[in-house]
Amino acid sequence: MQTQLQRSKHDPTETRCKLTLLILLLLGAALILGGLWGIRQYQQSGFDQEVGYRYIQKLSGEVDRLYTQSIQPVMAKLTDAEREALTLQAAGLLKENWTAAVKADQSARADEMLSGLTGDKLQQKTMELLSITYSLNGPKVASAEKKQLAKWTDAERSQNREALLRAVLDESAPLPQAVASAVGELTGSERAAALMQLFLVSANAENEPLPTDHVNSLKKAARNAEARISAYEMTADGSVSLLSQLLISHSRTAILLGVLLALDIALLFLMLYKDHSWHLDFKWAIILLIVDFMLVFQVLPMVYLIIKAFFPEGSFTFDVFQRLYTYQMNLGALKNTLIAATVTMVLGTLIAFPLAWLVGRTNLFGKKFFRSLFVLTYMVPPYVGAMAWLRLLNPNVGTMNQFFRLLFGLGDIPGPLNIYTLGGLIWVLTTFYYPYAFITISRAMEKMDPSLEEASRISGASPLLTVFRVTLPMMTPSLIAGALLVFVAAMSCYGIPSIIGAPGKVHTVTTRIIEYNGLGAQGISDATGLAVFLMALAILILYLSDFVVARKQYITVSGKSTRPNIVDLGKWRVPLTVLVSLFATIVVLIPFATILTTSFKIDVGKSLFDPENFTLTQWQTIFSRSETMSCLKNSLIFGVITASVGIVVACTMSYLLQRTKIRGRKLPDFLITLGSGTPSVVIALGLIMTMKGDFGVNIYNTAYIMIVAYLIKYLMMGMRTVVSAMSQIHVSLEECSQISGASWTRTMLKITGPLIFPSIAAGWFLIFIPSFYELSMTTLLYSNSTKTIGFQLYEYWTFTSQPQSCAMAFGILMIVVALNFLLNKLTKGEFSI
Amino acid sequence: MSSVTIQNVTKTFGNTTVLENFDAVFADGEFITLLGPSGCGKTTMLRIIAGFEKPTSGSVLFDDRVVSSDKVFIPPEKRDIGMVFQSYAVWPHMTVFDNVAYPLQIKKVDKATITKKVERVLDVVHLAQYRDRIPSQLSGGQQQRVALARALVAEPALLLLDEPLSNLDAKLRESMRFEIKDIQKQYGITVVYVTHDQTEAMAMSDRIVVINRGVIQQVGSPKTIYNEPANPFIADFVGKIEFLEGRVEAGYIALNGCGQKLPYEGDAKGDVIVGIRPEHVKYAEAGKGTLHGVVKTHFYLGDVDDCRIDLGGGKELRIIADPYESIGVEAGKAVELDVRSFLVYPAEQPGEDFRRILT
Repeated sequence: MQTQLQRSKHDPTETRCKLTLLILLLLGAALILGGLWGIRQYQQSGFDQEVGYRYIQKLSGEVDRLYTQSIQPVMAKLTDAEREALTLQAAGLLKENWTAAVKADQSARADEMLSGLTGDKLQQKTMELLSITYSLNGPKVASAEKKQLAKWTDAERSQNREALLRAVLDESAPLPQAVASAVGELTGSERAAALMQLFLVSANAENEPLPTDHVNSLKKAARNAEARISAYEMTADGSVSLLSQLLISHSRTAILLGVLLALDIALLFLMLYKDHSWHLDFKWAIILLIVDFMLVFQVLPMVYLIIKAFFPEGSFTFDVFQRLYTYQMNLGALKNTLIAATVTMVLGTLIAFPLAWLVGRTNLFGKKFFRSLFVLTYMVPPYVGAMAWLRLLNPNVGTMNQFFRLLFGLGDIPGPLNIYTLGGLIWVLTTFYYPYAFITISRAMEKMDPSLEEASRISGASPLLTVFRVTLPMMTPSLIAGALLVFVAAMSCYGIPSIIGAPGKVHTVTTRIIEYNGLGAQGISDATGLAVFLMALAILILYLSDFVVARKQYITVSGKSTRPNIVDLGKWRVPLTVLVSLFATIVVLIPFATILTTSFKIDVGKSLFDPENFTLTQWQTIFSRSETMSCLKNSLIFGVITASVGIVVACTMSYLLQRTKIRGRKLPDFLITLGSGTPSVVIALGLIMTMKGDFGVNIYNTAYIMIVAYLIKYLMMGMRTVVSAMSQIHVSLEECSQISGASWTRTMLKITGPLIFPSIAAGWFLIFIPSFYELSMTTLLYSNSTKTIGFQLYEYWTFTSQPQSCAMAFGILMIVVALNFLLNKLTKGEFSI
Repeated sequence: MSSVTIQNVTKTFGNTTVLENFDAVFADGEFITLLGPSGCGKTTMLRIIAGFEKPTSGSVLFDDRVVSSDKVFIPPEKRDIGMVFQSYAVWPHMTVFDNVAYPLQIKKVDKATITKKVERVLDVVHLAQYRDRIPSQLSGGQQQRVALARALVAEPALLLLDEPLSNLDAKLRESMRFEIKDIQKQYGITVVYVTHDQTEAMAMSDRIVVINRGVIQQVGSPKTIYNEPANPFIADFVGKIEFLEGRVEAGYIALNGCGQKLPYEGDAKGDVIVGIRPEHVKYAEAGKGTLHGVVKTHFYLGDVDDCRIDLGGGKELRIIADPYESIGVEAGKAVELDVRSFLVYPAEQPGEDFRRILT
């Protein structure tokens, strides 16, 4: 023993292992230093915005179009001399702007770009460059002025814009009324710059010389390609190596990688140290890879949000949170959210427990049907419910309200019920989130050893007394867990309040965050404050339910497979079945039917039975519109990618958690749990604030950012499914295969794989379905080319046509139901959601 | 205390018949064991007595009171029964005291009496010092005794035990056997005990009801069941036995295959099955044995010698002998055997394997 210990101290693998760690650590340090050097090099290398110009030119003829359509025609009205003077003026402004932007004289650079051009070519290039430059980084035009510009008629616009150009050349020229105030007291080049900006801005009715989307891609291009091009130019001098080029072009990414590598090594060192063994295990590479992913896309955005909330301007302050409590809009949203979530939690749990009991443990008629019906609601996008209830309980034309008025003879007044209230919001939230509690409680009830209840019966307690003395107390942990799940879901929900709250002025934290996000610096700061509040609350509850309640869960699973004890309802069987049917009709069938009927209507306020009001055009329209189809395609693609990547991670994690004892395997599990517990809106807000390239990753406005967001939010659903399936398969089944001579791979393919296949399929669908129809995160993360069906539906609901939106919603519902059916067939009835 | 009368009970689940025409009377204060292989219907019978299942037909009576029949069904809570479940079913959210006090609380017994009775019964099951523990702090054996105390505390007329010892380790199982038996005597209570373990059944029961495929095979004292099993299934299920086929001739049975003769004076005629328990076979001195053969395998187990003897013609016989008497026995040696007693059954019907145990 003694000698063995001695030997292990001088184990050569230990030296090798430590050496590897050291080399990797040095590599990390080198990456960080290299990145820092690259940034410095780049900063010294000069102006970058022209790169954006080149980029956009390559991408589309947008700038060309802009010039020929809205700049050239106005300039054509000027005399040749004026045009020449204007071009000269524009070139001057360009140099000035570039110099101001990079804090170094850029005259030479501008000259270089314009050199060799004459006449029309020179004029076009100068104006285009200036237009791009201003849209990236120009004098700000106040929104009041922009609105004024938008009001111009076409004739006025053409006339006024010509006047603007002349005013650039001549300070004494008369100014159009609408812009006079914008220029105000400015003189000289400042005045010229402002006027030129106004000219460019007023190019079309949309008030923007370029659509926002293009400006975004421009900005992105400027950040992305910036350094690469500079590096290229430096190489042209023959003095820069390939490595330097890479470091310059990817400086921030290099720093990010370096930091990650350093963190990984630190973690690895900790794990090795705790293991008292210095053997590097390949599994750690997988663990660290998942951890790195979560660190970059989950932890970094969250930490950034927190930092932004406490250090909005770089120094510590409570201002952001003060605004949460002093600003009426915020306070109202906070109150609404807390009230809605709390009441929904209480109502949802009060509905879920008796339902779960009736459906799971009694001889209620049609319990299997009811069960699938209630669970199905869980898989339906919540905004669909909101749309349906809006149609049912609209105070004026809501179908249910009309029915009630007829029934009680209330006459032609609005009401009696109004969906556009906090009460309405709570009602829809409850009908959509009670299934969370229902599923949690049902599962626990099914797992409960029936002899625990039988023991109570044989001790003399009636079935009802048994429910209160044994079933209910034993269910308490699951009841609490279910209730907290409902609370978090209701609190984090965006779809329902955005549809019901917005017209009713009932704002919640989530709707405010999304509104603020579009409103400049103060808006972002408010959004951050609300997001941090939401996140803190969600994580606190997650902690409570996952780490406190879960530990108190009574272990009641007996070794024997148990058939749940069925309580005979006796004379209550029929009345209770009627009651449950009534509930199912109101909460599930009527809303779904409303969606379907609305999709056939022309006027949503009128009856479907009015022959004038029945149409199939809504359906024809959505199927024939290429935009809808491309959104559907996007949704399917994002969903499939998210689910496929997710399920691979889920299977890997399941294996690590269930079949290995490797240290650190719980870390990715923890991060994944944290991610799924974070409200969607918070994830998305954090991602857009951090994924624009400032931290070395630039996936803003791409499909990647959406897939990453979906993964963070929904990965856990898949993982839990596979993990629990794997935990049911005793390891001896695998060992037996290996002892029979099968390799590890063969064992996984022939034994473990087939046994857990149903769960893998279920896990895949559990990630796919919510990703497919996601709305809250998409609202913040979409770009014109990455719109999804959920967002399209929301846009149509709000801006275009409610019936068309309903047609889409019903389409989504059908897809979800069809997938559920497919899953059921695929797993031979073992799983349906 | 009460007797239990089961009249013609049949139970079907869908198309499977679990119990068929079950008829039995358990006397007051009797310890009855329902013994049979798993899936034979014994637990279903117990649950019918408890009232957790309704018989498809037939009736159950406690003394003269009908508890289950076509017309009457008394729910379990009104039957005045104590029951111990296989999984113990000790409530994890209550202390030992609360678990045991539960049946009394339901009966609205006053607090002082509850305390007195619970403490007494906890004393009986040796758990007095654990009264304030919660079940997860107890071992399996202790939980099992909590369940027993809870079943006994209300002094029911009838105690039902559903394989209560199957989750315990061998040593504990043995000592619990005697404890349960002791407690039964102390309370003078009628006990219906379900098990698939024949040793347990033999050790504890006044009478054993052997069940197979939902049908009662035999009812009798442990001695009767062992020595006079009604059919080869019981003979095989209770204890060890070897079967040989043969034919009754005048004064002996000619064993098929090996051509040896076994002296027989009984009433059976024609083709028979002979059942020989290994402990009823002894080595005989040369020339004095009734059977002869060659030792095929020989296992020395310390307290006994377990050997297989080749009788010729592919027929074998197992012998469990005192090692003291079998000195010098080894594989390959020719020996002679004496058979003290054996069982004779009419030959099986073609196509029916009497030893097949349904699971």
